[in-house]
Amino acid sequence: MRNRVVITGVGVLSSLGDSSAALHAALCEGRSGIKPVQLFNTTGLGCPLGGEIADFDATKYLGQRNLRPLDRTSRLVASAAQLALKESNWSEEMRQDEEVGLVLGTMFCSVHTISEFDRRALEAGPTYASPMDFSNTVINAAAGQTAIVHNLRGLNTTISTGVTSGLAAISYAVDLIRSGRSRALLAGGADEMCFESFYGFDRAGLSCRSDRGSGDFPIPFDARRNGSALGEGAALLMLEDSDLARERGARVLGEIRGHGSSYDCSRGRSDQESVDAIASAVLHALYDGFALPHEIDCLSASANGSEAGDRNEAAGVFAGLNGQTGKLPVTAIKSMLGETLGASGPLQVIDLLETMRDGVLPGIRRLEKLDDGCPLATARSQSQELDVIDGLVNSIGLDGHCCSVIVSRGDF
Amino acid sequence: MTRRIVITGIGVVTPIGTGRETFWTNLLDGRCGIGPVQSFDTSGYNVHCGSEVRNFKVEDYLLNLDAAHLGRASQFAIAAARLALADAGVEIGSLDRKRAGVSMGTTSGEPREVERFDDAYVSKSLDKVGPEFLAMYPCHVIAAHVASELNFSGVNSMIPTACAAGNYAIAHALEVLRAERADLMLAGGSDAFSRITFTGFARLGAVAPEICQPFDRLRKGMIPGEGAGILVLEPLERARRRGARIYAEVAGYGLSCDAHHMTAAHPAGDGAARAMQQALADSGTNAEEVSYISAHGTGTPTNDRLETIAVKRLFKDTAYRIPISSVKSMLGHTMGAASAIEAAVCALAVFNNQVPPTINLNVPDPECDLDYVPNSAREVRVNVAMNNAYAFGGNNASVILRKWELLN
Amino acid sequence: MKVEEITTTVKKSIARITSIDPSDISDHASYKDDLGLDSLTILEIAVDAEYQFQVKLSDDDLGEIKTVDDTVRMVQQYLSVAAIA
Repeated sequence: MRNRVVITGVGVLSSLGDSSAALHAALCEGRSGIKPVQLFNTTGLGCPLGGEIADFDATKYLGQRNLRPLDRTSRLVASAAQLALKESNWSEEMRQDEEVGLVLGTMFCSVHTISEFDRRALEAGPTYASPMDFSNTVINAAAGQTAIVHNLRGLNTTISTGVTSGLAAISYAVDLIRSGRSRALLAGGADEMCFESFYGFDRAGLSCRSDRGSGDFPIPFDARRNGSALGEGAALLMLEDSDLARERGARVLGEIRGHGSSYDCSRGRSDQESVDAIASAVLHALYDGFALPHEIDCLSASANGSEAGDRNEAAGVFAGLNGQTGKLPVTAIKSMLGETLGASGPLQVIDLLETMRDGVLPGIRRLEKLDDGCPLATARSQSQELDVIDGLVNSIGLDGHCCSVIVSRGDF
Repeated sequence: MTRRIVITGIGVVTPIGTGRETFWTNLLDGRCGIGPVQSFDTSGYNVHCGSEVRNFKVEDYLLNLDAAHLGRASQFAIAAARLALADAGVEIGSLDRKRAGVSMGTTSGEPREVERFDDAYVSKSLDKVGPEFLAMYPCHVIAAHVASELNFSGVNSMIPTACAAGNYAIAHALEVLRAERADLMLAGGSDAFSRITFTGFARLGAVAPEICQPFDRLRKGMIPGEGAGILVLEPLERARRRGARIYAEVAGYGLSCDAHHMTAAHPAGDGAARAMQQALADSGTNAEEVSYISAHGTGTPTNDRLETIAVKRLFKDTAYRIPISSVKSMLGHTMGAASAIEAAVCALAVFNNQVPPTINLNVPDPECDLDYVPNSAREVRVNVAMNNAYAFGGNNASVILRKWELLN
Repeated sequence: MKVEEITTTVKKSIARITSIDPSDISDHASYKDDLGLDSLTILEIAVDAEYQFQVKLSDDDLGEIKTVDDTVRMVQQYLSVAAIA
C-alpha cells in the first residue's frame, strides 16, 4: 500500500509574478515575461531576450537579514520555500516536531558563482579567492542554504538532470513519501539567469533569432519557430502524505498521481530515439499512476520553440497516449516564460493546478501556424475554458532526459 | 516484502589503482596515492599536494562515444561503469536497455569545462568557447554519457550532493530498484581534479601540506583528489538466477540535513547521528550488529573530532568495539566519488572479511579514541558495514551493506 | 598607513559582507561574540582585508583574528613588513 502524495502549498518566483495566481493570470492573458535582458550585457549574442525576474529582492520574502552568504540562486530558492511554507501553513513550531525536507532540481545551481570564484582567483591570485563564494560553488549549495534559512532538517537532496531537474526532483520526492521515508517535502526546481549559462545556451545554437525571419520570441509548435529564450525562476511544491495533510487540516491543491522518466541515448541526435524516450516517459507515468490515455484532460508541454524538440515531443506524446492526441488540449508556457531549466517542470505543474482551480488553460503565445509535423491539432494561441481532472506535464531535455508527471485535481 | 537489492559488480578508477583487484590489494597494503599536484601549477598556493589518477586512458574503455567530447569525470565514470559490468559478468547485450539505468553523484561535475570558460573570459577571448560548453559542462552529463556509451535508456539521475553524493546515488538506485522501475542500476560517483575545488579548500585552510592523517592528533587537513566508483546493483533473485557473485546486500540507508552551516558540521554531530540512526532502522539492524564503519574521515581537525562524537552519540559504548577506518588516508578526498568508492570498500570488506587501515595514524588524539585500524589492514568477520559521508550544505548520508546470506 | 585608514577600510569590508552598519561596529568588537558572525563570515572578512591591502596572512595568523582590532593590527604588521622588504 503506497501513500498518496498531495500538494498543500506552492511558492513561485517567475518573470510573470511571485504567486501562482499572478503567474496564471498573465499566462492566460498571453503576457510574456521574455524581455531584453537587464542583468548582464548581451552584446554580440544572438538573442538579447530572456525571461528575467525584474527587480528581484529576496528581503521581500525573507525579511531584513544579511543575505550576502546567499547568491542569487540560493535567494530564489529560499524565497520560494518561504512562500510555499507559508501557503501550506507549515509554521516554524511545526517544523521542530516534524522534519520537513527539501528536494531541489537545478541544472546549474550557480555557474555564475563558480565562475566568479574562479575568475577572481585567476585575476587576483588564489590567496584572494572568496571563501564565502566557495561555499556556493557546490551544486547542492542552494538546497543547503535554504535548509539553513528555514530550519529544514528533513532529508535534503539536489537533483541535476538538465531541463528535467525540477520534475525529476518532484518524482524523487513522491517516491520517498509513498514509501513512508518522509512525510513532508518541499520539491521543485530553480535556475537563475546569468551570463555564463546564457552564453552557453547561445553558443549551442539554441536561442531564437530574429534574423531568421519569424521574430525573436520562442513560439512552440509553430512552423516558424527557430529556438528558445532562456528564463529563470524558482518553483516549489509542498508535497505531503495525504494522511498527514488531512490530520493537520491542510488545504489540498492537487495530487501527484504518477511519474515516469526515460533517457534518449542518442542525446537528441536521433529523432526516432528521442520520440521513443519521450513516449516511454509518458507510458511509465501512466502505468505508475494507474491511468489510461483517455483520462488525460490536457498536456502541459515542455516545448520551448526548439525545432526538433517540439516536434519530437508531439510525436512522443502521440505514441505514449496511444494516438489519442487529436483533441487533446495543449499548452506550452515556455512561450511566455522562456526555458527556465530546473524551474520549468514545477512551474508547469503549478500553473496546471491553477487551471484545475479556475478552469482556464493558457494558450501558446503567438502560435499562428501549427507545424504539420506536430500531431497536436488543438494547439492554439488563445486560452480556453477547460475542466481538468488529470493533466500530463512533460519536461524534456535538450540532450536526452525525459520526465512526465500526471497531476490530479484536489478533490479531497 | 521489500525487494532485496545486492551488489554484483564493482568498478573503480582511483589514485591507487584502477579495477577492483588492483585497488583492493593496494588498499590493504596501505598504499598511498597522494603526491605533488601535476595537473596545474600550484606555485601561487600555500599547499601543493593532491591525489590524482595517473596514466588513465579512457580509450581503453570507450567503445561508442568520442573521447574528445567527454570531460574527465565522465571518462572516469565510463571506465568505472565498464569495469563494474565486466566484474558483474553482465552481458550488456542481454539486458533490456529500457530497464537498465544510471544513478551518479558528483561535487564539481566537469570543472575543467568551466575553467576553460573562465580562462577565455579573463583573456578576453570568449569567442573560443563554443557549443561544447553546454554539451560538456553541466554536471548531469556524467550520468548521461555513461548511459549513452552503454545504451541504457532507463532511469538516469545525477545527484550532486558534494562529498556525500556517492551514497545519495546508491540510495536513489536502491529506491528505483525497490520500486521496480529498473532491473539493473549502475550507481556511484565521479569527480575530476579541479583547480576550483583545490583553490577553495586551500582558501578555507582545510588542505594538509603533505599527508592525510585522519584521527591522528597532528592531523592538518584533507587532500583533494579525484576518481570514480560504480557498483552494479540488481535484485537478489535476478543475481541468484544468473549465478552472479554477490558482494553484499544494500540493506538500507539514512539521509539527513544539518541545516546548520554551509561548510562546518553540526557541533554535536546531530545530523550525522540521525543519518546513521535512520540507516540502522531502515535496514533492521541493531547498533551492536555493525562490524565495520567506513568513516568520512577527511583528516581535518574538525571533521574527525565531530565524526567521532557522532559515532559515540549513536553507538555509545559499542563504538569502542567497532573498527572504523578512513581510506581517505590513502586516496585523499575523491569528492563525489568518495562515498561510492567507500561503498565498494564496504562491499569488499563484507565479501572478504578484511578491513582496510587508516594509514599515517601515529599519534593518538584523546578526542579521537576509537579503533581506527591504525596502519595495518585486519582480518575481521564483517557481517554488516556502515558507510558514512558528510557534505557541504549539511548533507549527510549513511548506507548499510550486509552479507546477503544473513537474512536467509 | 594610519590605523584610522585601515580601520575604516576593514569596517567597510565588514559592512559589505554582513550588512552591519560601520557605525555599529566598535573597534574592539569581537566577531563571534559581539557581531554574532560564524567562522565562514569571519574568514571572508579576513580574506577581503587581505585583498584590499594586498597582504597575505599566514594560516596561523589568520586563526588569531578574533576582533576588529586584531584585523587592523595584523594588516598594519604585514604592511610594515612589506614596506621594509
